[in-house]
This record gives sequence, C-alpha cells and structure tokens, in this order.
Amino acid sequence: MSLASDSYYMFLRWMKKLVRNPILLFFSLFQPIIFLVLFTQLFSSFGLLLGGINYTIFATAGIVLQNAFSSAFQSGTAVVDDIKSGFLTKMLATPASRASILLGRLLSDAFRVFAQSLIILVLAYGLGVFPVTGFIGYVLILFTVAFFGLAWSGISLALGLRTKSAETVFGIAGTLTFPLLFMSTALMDKRLMPEWMKSVSAYNPISFAVNAIRDLIMIGYNWNSFLLSFGVISLIAILTMGATIYEFRKVVS
Amino acid sequence: MPAVQVENLVKTYGDGTQAVKGISFKVDDGEFFGFLGPNGAGKSTTIKILTTLLRKTSGSANVAGLEIEHDAQKVRKLIGVQMQDTVIDEDLTGRENLELQGHLQQMHGEELKERVNELLKVVDLGDAADKRSAYYSGGMKKRLDLASTLVHRPKILFLDEPTTGLDPQSRAQVWSYLKGLNQTGMTIFITTQYLEEVDRLCRRLAILDHGEIVAQGSPSELKSEIGADRITLALENGNTGTGSLKDKAKQVLGGLGGITEIVDSDEGIVVYAKNGGFLVPDIVRAFDTAEIKLSSIGVSSPTLDDVFLKHTGRRIRPEEIDKSRASGMFGRRRR
Ligand SMILES: Nc1ncnc2c1ncn2[C@@H]1O[C@H](COP(=O)(O)OP(=O)(O)OP(=O)(O)O)[C@@H](O)[C@H]1O
Ligand SMILES: [Mg+2]
Repeated sequence: MSLASDSYYMFLRWMKKLVRNPILLFFSLFQPIIFLVLFTQLFSSFGLLLGGINYTIFATAGIVLQNAFSSAFQSGTAVVDDIKSGFLTKMLATPASRASILLGRLLSDAFRVFAQSLIILVLAYGLGVFPVTGFIGYVLILFTVAFFGLAWSGISLALGLRTKSAETVFGIAGTLTFPLLFMSTALMDKRLMPEWMKSVSAYNPISFAVNAIRDLIMIGYNWNSFLLSFGVISLIAILTMGATIYEFRKVVS
Repeated sequence: MPAVQVENLVKTYGDGTQAVKGISFKVDDGEFFGFLGPNGAGKSTTIKILTTLLRKTSGSANVAGLEIEHDAQKVRKLIGVQMQDTVIDEDLTGRENLELQGHLQQMHGEELKERVNELLKVVDLGDAADKRSAYYSGGMKKRLDLASTLVHRPKILFLDEPTTGLDPQSRAQVWSYLKGLNQTGMTIFITTQYLEEVDRLCRRLAILDHGEIVAQGSPSELKSEIGADRITLALENGNTGTGSLKDKAKQVLGGLGGITEIVDSDEGIVVYAKNGGFLVPDIVRAFDTAEIKLSSIGVSSPTLDDVFLKHTGRRIRPEEIDKSRASGMFGRRRR
C-alpha cells in the first residue's frame, strides 16, 4: 500500500533535513543539558529534603520530558515552512497519500525525540544516573518519551496549520513550557510543594509521564504508574491528533 | 478526447474576490496551449484548479477525460505541474529532490535512478546533481523545479511561467526542451510573458483578462483578426505627452481615413490601419498642420503583442514583471 511507502519517503526527507541542520537537533538539547549539569547541582540539597537521595537521579525524568516537550514544537514550525515555501502544495499535486504527509512528519518527530532522549540519558549515566531497571528500563523510558513527544507534536502541528506562523508556535510554546513544567512533578517531589500546586500537578499530564519514568529509574517496574501514564498520553494524543487532522483537512482542501 | 475541457468555470475566493468568472475553453490532446493574461487575470487560479490544488466554485472541468474533483487522484498521476514560485527542498540535493518526486509518484529502483539521471542531464544539472540545492542559482533552481514535474512522464504538463527569471540562454533552452516534449506527444499548458515564444510554439492560445477569456484561437488567427498594421506614434513631450496634447493628437487622427482603431499605450499612441505604410505621410502632414510635434513614428505588421494590447489594453513587459516579482519575493522572505 502506498501509505506505508509514501510515509517512509516523507520520513526520510525529514531525516535528511534534520541531519543537514544539526543545529535543529541540538538547539532544543541545549536547555536540558544546562538543567542536567547546572540546575541539578544548584538544587542538589533538595535531595536531602527528599530523604537523602541524589537530586540528579530524581530530576533526570523531568529533564528528559522537558526536552521532549520543547522539541515537539519544532514540528509545527517545520510545517509552517512547508506551507510558506509551497512544498506542501507540491506534495499535494502528486498522488501521494495525504495521510503520509502527517505520518512521515510524526515518525520523524518520534525519532528525533528518541535520539535526543538517548543523548540525555547517556550524559546522565556519566553523571551517575543508573536506572534500576537496566536495559529494559531504558527501552521503556525511550518509548514513553517518544510517545509523549508525539502527543505534544500534535499540538504544535495543529497550531502551525491553523496560524501558519512560526512565531506564534514558538510564542505559545515558550509561554506553556515553564508553567507546565514547574507545576508538575518534573523537578520537585509533590511532598515539597504548596498545597494548591500539589493539586494542580496531580492533574498535570507531564506529572503522569514523569512519575512513570522516574519509577523506572529509581524504584523498578511500577506497572500502575506506567499504564496510567500511557493512558494519559494516549488521551492527549487522541485530542491533539484530532485537532491536527481537522486543521490539516482545512489546509489541504 | 480533449486533454483539458473547461466549461463555465468560476472561482470566487473566500474573501469575495472573483478570480475566474465563468470561462470555457478546450485544449486538444497533444496541443501546445498558451494561457496569457495580465497580472491578476486569474491564470494561476485556473491552473491550481485544473491541477486539483484548489476547489472550483462552480462549472465543470475535465482533465484527460477525468472530472477533476471526482477523479483527483487519477488526474494527479497523469499531470505534472510547475507552480509560479519555484518550489524545491533546498536542504536536499538536486538528485534527491527528483527522487523524492519520483517516489511520491510510485516510481522506485533502477527505473527511477535512470530517469533521474536522464532528467538531470536534460536540464543541465548533471554536475551539480549532488550539491545541496540551496546553493543553486535562481535559474538552476527553476530548472530543477521543471525537471521535478517531469519525473513520472506526465501526459499533460501545466507550467505557470516556467521561464520567468531565467537568462535568455536558459530560457531558449527550456523552450526548446518543451518543444521536444510536445513533439513526443505531451500536452503542454503554459502561462508566460514571452509572446514571441508563444507565437512560435503554441498551436493555440487563450487570453484571460479580469477572470474572463477575451480572445482565443491560433496565433495567426488572432493576428489576422487585427487585420491592420500597427503605427506607433511618440509625441515630443516626454514619450506619451500630457493629457491634453494626447487628446488633441487623437482628435487629429480621428479626422483621417483608413484608421481602424486608436489605442493608448505606455509608448504613446498606437494606431491600427490597413496598409499602414501609406498612411504615415498623411499623419505627419496632419500633425504638422496642427502643430503637434512627433518624436518618432513607426510601422509594423501585427504581433501577438498587438493582440494582447487590443484585448486587454495592456502590454506584457517580461523584464519589469521579473523585477517587481523579485523584489516582492525578497520582501516576503524578510518578513
Ligand atoms: N488565496 C487568494 N485569496 C484571495 N484572492 C486571491 C487569492 N489568490 C489570488 N487571488 C486574487 O485572484 C485574482 C487572480 O489571481 P491569480 O494569481 O490567479 O492571477 P494571475 O493571472 O496568475 O496573475 P500573475 O500574472 O500576477 O501571476 C487576483 O485578483 C488575486 O489577488
Ligand atoms: Mg500567476
């Protein structure tokens, strides 16, 4: 079927573009690396408040997800570029399956987040973060992050398709990132949060994904938190993909 | 079966702009068809509709015998389209651009490889094939764009100003290549500002103005419709003369016999007359008497330029259009 092969070639195109613009790959990595190296040192004493744990180990899950979050917003700007340059139109003039245009992009998003997360985890390993679940833990972490990244790509794609403005996508991304991150368990245990934030973070989708990954790193297999996070991410994915498909249809017809 | 058949085609954009107002025309299989018109006439809009990229508001349109909206997917396999603004992926090499286009047209393997090599040679990009197309010159990009519409050997090729922005040499190359394609049986539907080439290569053409077709036929039919020679008069005062001087001149001309039409143009006053050569002495004498100074007067047999001027009241000037486009594009980039 042509959907599979079309998506593959669309994916390949994005991969080539990514490799040829390494800055795109590392741009969003910069911030998490600063967090991993500097922020965790600055706040290392939080580890004592949390019962004498290593804060770097605690924060790794949050940092990996933060990267997935900001990386996802590149997707929308890439699509805006294709709309503005007319390349989207050029693809639409071929019999290529319409769905493959989105699918190829999403696959490349997942791949990019996967690669970036791997880099962060390797760096974290160098700083003494060894997941207790070992190799399988790594695999599960990477898949969770990639899935999480996909769900957020959906928002940025929908925004890009709707506003056709890279600045808007970036603006909204920048506005959302820190509030969502700080009102989650990404960088702080909920026991140390003020009451109101505790309740907000309990519903923050980032918290669910963070908890699942943190458990894999610090505790072991906690299938409850793992399945819960997949449920929450799936829900987000359905919403954001729905919005993306809706906006894409409007652009395409 | 005609390659393109359009009846009462209407396109009204969301903002109320009536870009195409009920046009009808037919392009025969294997024809080289010119689609001309001043800026904003609706040429690109029509091409977008015929290539399934834009929905029509009403009317009917068939391409290769297929209803364009019902059979859009089949139409896309049979056509190639080059849009007005050059579109290539600048992160990819020339070869990769062509291969991607081939893949999306379901071509793979050796067949595609060979086809791409052949096309790269044809558009003279053999040496730059594996260079990132971001580093191509404007003309190279345009040629790559053209090649990318040909990978799957379309039966009908839609070209929206394929040679605008090319230097004269590349332009001649592209036209001769298009001629070759047409000789192999490919139908070509082209919009362009280059009327000489249209005259030489197009079997038939249509002129669009304000969303309506104002003339169609073969170049020779349209030229003979004018049925007169063209006399261009430039007045001494600047090249057009002030309003009142021009009016006075027209009045004088109106008093002369044998003139079929008087048209204002950027270059002065254009007069159409049978056997124009004989009229020149009369005009000179009449102007002398009226004390209107002429800076030049010239006679020529009608060209497509005259056809265009007669039907649209405007003249095509490729160079100026190139310049305004180029600056427009620059402006857009900077935003
Ligand atoms: N997306 C759009 N929305 C609203 N109006 C549009 C849109 N695209 C084109 N138009 C308008 O429709 C008319 C026809 O435009 P079109 O691009 O088809 O002209 P054209 O003949 O190709 O002109 P040119 O020679 O400058 O390329 C113009 O008045 C233009 O402003
Ligand atoms: Mg146009």
